[in-house]
Parts: sequence; structure tokens; C-alpha cells
Amino acid sequence: MSAYIMGITSGSGLPVFSRKKGNCDSLSFSALGSLNGVHMFGKPLNIELLNTLTDDYVVAWKEFNDSLVIIGLASGCSTDVLNRLLKLIYDAIVLIVGIEEAKTQRNIERLKRELRVCYPVLDRLLDSLDCGDSSNKHSSDIVGYVETILCSENHLIQIVLDSFSECVDSMFSCILINGKIAAATESWWSLHPHEIRLLLFLAVTENKDISKDIPVFLPYKSPTVAFRFVACSLISDVQVCCLCGTTPALIDIEQSATQCFKNSSDILKAASQCSPRNFPYTIAVDNGILGLLLVNIKLKKYMMSKNPQQTSFRKTSSSSHRLDILRTFFYQSVINILIPNAQTWQENNIYEDQKTDKLALDEFNEGLETYWCSEYHKCHAVKVNDNILCVLYNAGTPIHAMRLISKNTLRVLISDKQVCW
Amino acid sequence: MESQSLLSHRESSVEDENLEEEEDDWSDRSSYSTYSDSDSSSIIPDWEPYVDDFTGELLYIDCHPFVTHNRYQTKTVEEPEAFTKSQLRRSTRGKFLRLLRRRESKRFKKNQKPLEEGFEINTQKVKFQDFQEGEQKEVTLEIDQENRYNLSSDKSLAESLLGLIVSTLSDGNRVMIAGFSYDSKAKNDRNIKIGDWLKTINNIDVNVHNLDDILQKFINHNEVLLTLQRVGATEVTKDPPINELNLESAFVRDLLNSKAEENLLVLQKLCDFPVGLVFINTEKLDENNKANEDVIYHFPKALKKNALCNSRGIFITLSHLLEDITKTSPKISSMLYKEKLAHVVYTKFNSKLMLFMLPDERASVKEVMLMNSELLRFLEFSFENIDQCFCWSRYVEQVDRLLFRYFARIICNSDWATTDQFMEYQFDHKDINNTNNCIFEQIMPVVPTLKLHDDAVRQIDEALSELEASDYREWNEDPLDCQRLFTILGSALFHAGYLLHSHLMHDDLVDVYNFCKYQGIVHLSKTEPVKSLVLWKEVYPRSCRPEFLGTVKIPEGRRYLLVVGTGKDFLAVIMEAGGATEPPEENMGPDAFYVEEVQATLAHIQELGLSIVAERFLMSNGGFQIANPMPSMNQKRSDFIGSLGFPTKSSVPQAHKESSSGIKKNEVISILKRRSSEQNVLNTSHEDSYDAYSEGSESQSYSEAFSEISDESSRNRKLKCDSNDEDSDFDDYGEGSQLSSSSCDLSEIRQSLLADSDEYTPIQLTSGRYNVLFNFLQLDTTEGLLVTPLDCNLHSNTYQLILNNFRRCCQNIHSIFQSTLRFKSLPAQDVAKSLMNKSLIAIKEYGMLFECPFNDEKESNKKAKISYWVIGRLFYTPHPKELYICYQDTVPQNLVELAFKINLNSIL
Repeated sequence: MSAYIMGITSGSGLPVFSRKKGNCDSLSFSALGSLNGVHMFGKPLNIELLNTLTDDYVVAWKEFNDSLVIIGLASGCSTDVLNRLLKLIYDAIVLIVGIEEAKTQRNIERLKRELRVCYPVLDRLLDSLDCGDSSNKHSSDIVGYVETILCSENHLIQIVLDSFSECVDSMFSCILINGKIAAATESWWSLHPHEIRLLLFLAVTENKDISKDIPVFLPYKSPTVAFRFVACSLISDVQVCCLCGTTPALIDIEQSATQCFKNSSDILKAASQCSPRNFPYTIAVDNGILGLLLVNIKLKKYMMSKNPQQTSFRKTSSSSHRLDILRTFFYQSVINILIPNAQTWQENNIYEDQKTDKLALDEFNEGLETYWCSEYHKCHAVKVNDNILCVLYNAGTPIHAMRLISKNTLRVLISDKQVCW
Repeated sequence: MESQSLLSHRESSVEDENLEEEEDDWSDRSSYSTYSDSDSSSIIPDWEPYVDDFTGELLYIDCHPFVTHNRYQTKTVEEPEAFTKSQLRRSTRGKFLRLLRRRESKRFKKNQKPLEEGFEINTQKVKFQDFQEGEQKEVTLEIDQENRYNLSSDKSLAESLLGLIVSTLSDGNRVMIAGFSYDSKAKNDRNIKIGDWLKTINNIDVNVHNLDDILQKFINHNEVLLTLQRVGATEVTKDPPINELNLESAFVRDLLNSKAEENLLVLQKLCDFPVGLVFINTEKLDENNKANEDVIYHFPKALKKNALCNSRGIFITLSHLLEDITKTSPKISSMLYKEKLAHVVYTKFNSKLMLFMLPDERASVKEVMLMNSELLRFLEFSFENIDQCFCWSRYVEQVDRLLFRYFARIICNSDWATTDQFMEYQFDHKDINNTNNCIFEQIMPVVPTLKLHDDAVRQIDEALSELEASDYREWNEDPLDCQRLFTILGSALFHAGYLLHSHLMHDDLVDVYNFCKYQGIVHLSKTEPVKSLVLWKEVYPRSCRPEFLGTVKIPEGRRYLLVVGTGKDFLAVIMEAGGATEPPEENMGPDAFYVEEVQATLAHIQELGLSIVAERFLMSNGGFQIANPMPSMNQKRSDFIGSLGFPTKSSVPQAHKESSSGIKKNEVISILKRRSSEQNVLNTSHEDSYDAYSEGSESQSYSEAFSEISDESSRNRKLKCDSNDEDSDFDDYGEGSQLSSSSCDLSEIRQSLLADSDEYTPIQLTSGRYNVLFNFLQLDTTEGLLVTPLDCNLHSNTYQLILNNFRRCCQNIHSIFQSTLRFKSLPAQDVAKSLMNKSLIAIKEYGMLFECPFNDEKESNKKAKISYWVIGRLFYTPHPKELYICYQDTVPQNLVELAFKINLNSIL
């Protein structure tokens, strides 16, 4: 598999960044320049090139604020997903340099230098493409959605977190277990899903055991004024994050964190045991279930589990492939059928008034369920209000049983008050 | 049986060889000669003058008289010199024809006029401006002595006795003079004019229903007194040349017009839409070449205004660039052109590149790729290869015309658009029908099929085989000492655009159907039954093209497509010249003998009543029951899941808490559903007892109750048939066969065919008590067949909404299945290297549940919703087949079982 993303300034045609994933050669400058060129040629003709498909690859161009063209080239994924990724990548750039700098590009060299900070984030973002390849380390990343973990201790952690918020005087804070949100303040959830996703990546990339203090712009909430994003490690795998202004200093925040969480280290330890199942061991699911993906389409958060069976402690090689299957199912089917108007145009295209393209659902038909039967497994997704549960079953499960089990499982998961879904 | 009847005719036909021009009520060309204005033309076929001098191509359409009151618009396409030319043509190749002419095809004896007694086939389509107060005339007309007792089913009584062809006025009751038979004495009477209302005969009031009875009374009289009234405001000349009546509708005129539109306005309008086709030679792009030298062909014609032409640099670059980077060539690009989404498809031919653009509102990414390959197939079938089609100047004009039609049709979003319709078309964003109109099965490489029952298929089979065998020697008493001109490679019979039976190779069948679709013949046969249609063109079938054959050797030669049509039927035949036959000539025109032969076959098939059978199938949705969407509230549901105490959503009624016995009942029904569904269809009067059976009664009484019902129902069924026998249409057939003693055997077959089809009722495919099937599609791309419940007669808004969504989903499901098929066809060593998403390689079933508002009944229950499934299933063996169904969410359906039932249906 291979995927490339590159950013080129619209005015001068200079490359700003270029990242790749997979074992492939880097693109030559001439290839990069030509890719930018074909997009540029169209402008005087009133043509804006959007994407091109080949048998295995898809190329997408997107120009942001008439200043930066981001080009993505990837194999195996759909145009829709690649488009969403491009938008997210631009948001990552704004997060680091702010909208002004991204727009005006007064000093290209400085812009390039500043962007180095977000390379790990960009690389991580590339992992959310479903290239259908088991070498992927982060198969549970879903583009544009925020990953959470459902521990039975979540409601306890929430209480401690709220008091921590008061201590550091920040409305925006959250607890991460393995980079997944266990608990967060109400205001944290009011951030745009892209912002949350990017901040989480910022917290977990590179060394997650040391404290971080990074100035960030919020692409949607505050694109011009920078905040400080602070992440402190509590115990291994557990971090507390917050957004704050110029005060308090990092050292004070670290102290407050120790203060607030010193009595709850047992709780945190217990909660971190929840991973990699990602939902409480107290909740038993049907034997036929191989993987779960629970999504809230309103808050754009999800929980993904590849080991739902309590007994299966041995890590089978296929378990990460299970996540791949679930994610592909989500990208290819669920996103188009069960999520109203989720198609590229309305949500991601820069032309806000652009209608959805022809294959998008009309507003009259609402999807409720969908399933796939493959030779090796079955996938089923069911939507109840804002929640969607996608389940991976073994191939032997009959379809009518799938419908029944999925609905029951969904009900069990969302009715559990302790996990704070 | 058939051969006997054929034998008995042979003698008479040989005797009558020279009597061709004489009046003879079953003269083989009565339908032609009736309308022809010169006697000599009965030797030369009507279509002969229209054969293209240069290419030998022919498109001849003879419509039923269709008179509008602004007659000045009409003109015939006839060219004065054509006549001499056609005589020349005949003389050069007359030998074979002369020899064979002696043998009048017995089947051809059957008049080619469509069967007037068939209730569906409306032969005379004369319309006149209708005025009540018109000049009234009285005419005394002699009754034709010779034809008095020589009545056949082919001619109406009025035609035999009076020499008048009659039809109805606009009210469908009053009788109108629609024409004269060619030998008619009435034709010379100045007072009888076409369009007149025939009021009385011997002062007895006449209408459509009593005309024959009244004429019967006067059958022995020498003359009758007719009262006629002028109702038309039309100017009829003294002795109207009947040709003037053979008007074409705008659509037919458009079809016959082979010249490209040069009109600037048309061009301008075409350029307003993001549509186009460009064929580029990428080797001519360096600086030594003149501007635009690389463009071999472009459409629309204005180079400067052609968006695709102007922006071709983008696509040429991309095509090379992506091939370098990814080692795969680009398939499609999407772009915004003037803020409108449009797609451009790439097709590479070595150093040449074809670009094809359509707007998204007419074709989505997936649709436009299918449309591109469909267009390519059509061009390759008609012009051998793409290079030739765009490079040879002799084809370019034809291609222009074809592409104009093609784009006009797509822009107008209709089955066909004439130039005028295109000019009138206004794009309206708000029109719901205009946008989001999904197409799926129309653009797949499949032919919509009407699955007739076995007897009917066998009859068609025999007729086609006989045609294909070309065994003329047996029918001819003198030994033939010349080679044939053509071998027949295969033939296919269509009715109203649906395939009835095919003897063509699968690929060729799809190509032939495609060709007919692009030429408008499919649309013609659906909308305007014609009197006669002849099409002749050299074609390049896939089965004979070297690039598809590999090592198989086929004789060198040329292939021609001959399409002959009458009414709603048309018969397509691929013929080969070369190999076993005489060597092919350059630009060979159609041969009169073969055309007649095919016409005779078609007439024979119609004589057997097969078009009526087909029409009945059409009326019954192709033999499949389709449910009307009803909100689930009104329906008593027996949901299997629901019955298990499944937590249902708010919109799903929870009223069906059936106990475990309820499940059992369902299972019982599903086992018996074939029969029980039949009962449901056959007699609804037993609904009550059936209800009782399925709901109340205990399990041991099932069988009893059931057998009782089935006995009774079968008795009822018999009764129904009996009563049907007395129905008027049956009577008519019976009488017809008695009158024309000649067609005695045929009419027996005919009767049995028609009786069969009457017994045939649409079946319910879905399991469960109620029919919940909204639609289904069975795609067999290997055999090129599509089975579907045809154009549904249901026209509720909700249904259209569901159907549109169904098509959209089919498109998505289909593309998922494509990747499964692609993976299966990968060689094992390439699997590891392949870049395909490994999660998408083995999907065989894909289903989705939707809910949509029920908005057919206004006000009453606004919140009512319908939930329905769309499911696609892929079958690999014996060859890939796809089945898509759409049904209301009640009883779970098994797709394998449904597929069985759909296919069994054809064997019934």
C-alpha cells in the first residue's frame, strides 16, 4: 500500500510539506509539480479538478482559502475518505500555525519549519486511511471521528477530572487512556471533532510519558488566537490533557494533576486494564461477535473493540485485521447509508452550498441497518437514534440472528451509566 | 403441423407466381401494396429506394397513417432518382433472387398486417380534427363481388366488401374512413375522403361495434348507400395520393434524418452543458504540430467553446503522470466546471486517448463509467473500432448525428429527445425528477428479457431456427445452382424493447440491443407501433472480431445487421457474407429476398399470437407480482424477529407479539407459499377461510383446511378458464381461424398459446402471507440478460422514491461486488502484490434497511413510514450473476430461495 500527501502554496507553487506512508519511493519534485500543475491549469478555464481514480489509486486535490493546495494520493481507499483526510490535514496545519499564517504565507521557510511539529500528527492521520493492509499499526483510527474507551470506572474518573478542571481553571480537559478519551469535561465535547482528534494525536505522538506544553490554534473555535495545550502523564498509558491560556504555568498544572489524582491511582490502573477490549469486562457479548464499533454520530465519537470475547486472551494475528474489516465496512457502507448526508460535499467540501453528489442519499430515505456477508465473516450495523453499532460476526451467524444480537448489544452498551457513553 | 400447411400452400403459390399483382385477398404483400401508389412497386420492395447509395445502409420506417390537422408540415423522404437506382441494383443481383422468387414463402402468405383483433395492438392510428357539423354526403358504393365470400381474418369486412379501411374517430366509437385498399373502387369516388365519418349504411346508424354485423347483413347486396360526414378541417385533394398520409411523427422523422445538426443555436445550447467527447492523438502534441492538430475528433463541434477540448491538456497530463506514479492508468476525473460537478472518463487506445464528459446531475461517477463503456461498445459494433469511427471522414457525419442524439437524450433526461425537444428543454434545478434520478439496469451490459412460458419460447425457437437454417432448397422445386448470399449467424426477437428469445452469441446480443437502443428502435417499438421497419447496416459483432477470439479462426467476411419490425415486435438478424457464401461485395445493400424471409418469419410469429402473449406478459409485469407500498401500520405484520420479542423501534408497531406457535405458522406458510400465494392471487374470495387457516386453526387441521382450499381453488381456477373461453376475444380467435381455412393449424397453435398464457398468473416471490416485493433485478452479465418486473404500472410517489433509492443502492452494491469478482479473477501469484482492500474481496451479500415517509395519501397519516430492504447477492457459479431485491421489511427473505423462484418462473 502507499499513500502520499503534499501541500503546495497556490500562489508560488512551492512545496510546503510532503509526507508518505508505506514502503514506496518518495514522489519526485517533477511529479509533485505536475500534480499541482494539472490542478492549476483548470483555473483560467473555470474548472476545478477534484479527484481522479485509477484501478487502485485515488488522487484528490483540495485548495483551501485560495492559498494552499493539498494533494492526496492513496491506494485502496475511497475518494470520500481521502477528501475527509485532506480537510483534516489542513486543520492540523491551522492548529499549529494559525489561520493567518496558513493564508498569507509571508515566510515560506518559517512556515515549513513550524510545520515540522505536526509531522507526527500528519503521519498518524495517514493511518486512518483504510488501505486494507494488515501492516497498519493504527487500524482503529477513523477519519474525522474521536476514539473513546468505555471503562466501568469512567464515572469516577469524571468526578476527579471536574475537580482538576477547577484547579487549573480550564473548562477544556480530558483523561486519555492509550490515547482514547475515558472522560472529558462537557466543554471538551463542545470542541469540533477535528480539533479533539488532532489534540489527542498531539498528546500521544512522540513520547507520551513526558509532559507537553504546545501552543495551538483551534481551527474552528479560535483560528487566530493561540491556546496552550498541556498534556501530563499520570501513570503509564494514562494522560490528563487541558487547554488553557497563558497561566497557569506547566509546573503548576503538573502539581494540580498530582494533587487531584493521587488518591485515584487505583481507579486509573483498573481503568487502563480495560484496554485493548475497550469496554468493560462486565459486559458479556454473544460468542459469534468478533469485533465491535460503537459510534455516536452527533458527537462523532466511537469505541472500537477487537477482543470482545473474555476468553480470547491470545492475540491472534487476525485481530487487527478485524479492525480493518470493521473500519472498511464503516467507510464503505455505514457512512453512506446510515449517516444522513455524510457524503463529501456537505460536510467536507469548501463549497458549503454545493449539493451532494448524485449517489448520496436523498433526504427522504433514511438508512436504519446494513450488513455484508463475506465468505469469511459478516458485518452488521444498526442505527438507533444517534448511535450506530457495527458488529463483526463469524460467518456462521445467520442474518436474522445478527439483527437481533446487534440490537441487544447496542442497548446493553448505551444503557450502562458507568461508562459515560 | 406447420410443414403440412406450408406444403399445401406451395402449389397454389407456384401457380400464383404471376398473379402477384392481381387482387388476391391473401396476396403476400397486401399491406404494402395497399398503401403504395404505383403498381410496379409491388415487385420492388417499398424500402428499396431508401437504401443508401454509397454504404448500402438502410433505415426505412413505414408508420401507420397518423394525420394531424396541420398537414402542410408533412413530406416524404422520397427522392426522385432513387427509383431507377433501385431497379439497377436489383438487376445486378437478381439471379439468386429470381430463382427464389418462385418460391413464395408459405409463411409469408400470412399477411403482414398486425393482428387487428388483438386487443392491445392498435393498428390504425388516424386522428382527425373532429367537428360535429360538417358537410354530409350520400354515396352509393358497389360491393366487391369477388371478395364477397372471400373473407379472411386479415382483412376487415369493410375492406373486403367496400374497399375501405376504417378506423375510429377520436371518441373511439364513431367509424372513420382511414384509407382505401389499393384496388378499391371507392378510392375513385370523389365524395369519399379519408377522415370522413361513416354515419350510416343503408340508413342504419353505424358505430365501431356494430359495423361488422351491419355489413354482414348486406353481404349479398350489390350496392350499399353510405352516409358520410366531413369532420376533418383538413384539405384533401381531389384524389389524395395515399403516400401523403404516411406521415411520420416528429420522433420518426428525427430517426430517419441522418444529417447532423448544423444549427448554431443547437450547438450553442449544447456547449452550455458540461458534456462532450474528444478523441486525441497524444503523439501529435509536440511543438512541430499545428494548434489543435492533436484533436482527431471533438463533439460538440465548436472547438473554442468545447470545455473538454480546451481543458484536454489537464487530462492528457494526468493520464501520463498517474501512469508513471502508480503504474495504473486513470479511469475517471471529477471536476467542478462553472460550479457544476462533472465527470470525465478516460479511455486509452495505445497512443490515442478518448475523453468523455457528463454532468453529475445526469450521471454519477459509477454511472458515467458504465455509460462510457456502453457508448464504446456501440461505436465498436457499428464502426469496427474507435480509430476508424473518428478518423474516417465517411463515418464522422454519422457519428456527429449519433452523438448529438446521445447527448440530447441525456441532457433532457428522457428516453429520447428530438432536436426540437432538446431546444425546448430548460434545465430546472428545482424539479425533483430532474435531479437524483438514478439509473442502473439501463446502462448495464444486459438486455431486458421477457420470460415467456415454454410453449411460446418453443414456437419462437422453431421459427428462428427455420429462418437461420436458410434451407431454401426444400421449398423450391427447381434445384438451386447458385451460392447463398448470406449465412445467418443468429437472430433475436424483441417485443416492445424486451427480448423474447435470442439465438445470438451473448456478447452480440448485448451489442445488437445496444445498437437498437441508440438507433431509437427500442424506444420506437415501445411507444409507436409501426407498420413496417427495415434496417440494414454492416456491423462488427464481438464474436467475429479477432481481438476477442484469440486463437479461434473464423472465416473472413462481412457481417450485416438486419432489423425488421412490425407493430411492437422487431426481429434482429446478423448475417455473414463470406466464408461459405458468395464473396461479399463492397457496401452491400440489403437483399430483398432475405428481408422478405425475415419479414415472413416475423409475420409467422405474430400469426401465432406471440405478440399478444408477450403483451399479456407485459401487462402482468412480466409474470411477477409487485406490491404497492403501504405503511406498515395498516398491515398486520408477522415479523419473525418481532415475534421473538425483539426490541422494535418506535416507528415499528409492536402489535405483533406472536407466541412461538406464530413462528411455526410462518414456517408452515413458507413451505407452502408457492401454492398458497397462487390461491391468494386466484381467488380473493377465499381470503376469509384462508385467514382462519393461518391464524386461528390448530396445527392438525392445517392440512385438511389447506387441501380443501386448494381443491376448491383449483375448481375455481378451472371455472375461470371456462368462463374465459366464452370471452369475446377467444371467440374472435376461433372465428378467425374458421374463416381463413388456410391458417387452420397455425390458429390451433395460436389458440393453445393464448389459452396457456391465460392460465398463467403472476407469482408471488416473497415468503410470507402478503406480497411484500417492491422490485427486483437479476443481472447476468455473462449471458447479457436482465430479468426484472418491467416498467411497473404503479405510479405512486412513494414507490418512485423507493425505486430510485433502490437503483442508487444497486449501483453501490454492484461496485462492491465488482471488487469481489476482480479479486477472484486475479492470478494467485498476484494476490500478494495486489493493492486491493483486503476487506472487500469476498463479499457476496450486501443488504440495507431503509425507512421512508409514506406520502401517497394526503393528510391522513403523515407520520406513516415504510421500512424496506434493499439486498444484493452475488452468485459465482456457474457464472457470475447478481440479484438485487427490494421488499418491505416483514418476513425475512432468503435470497437464494428467491433467486430459485425467479429462475423457476421461466420454466413454468
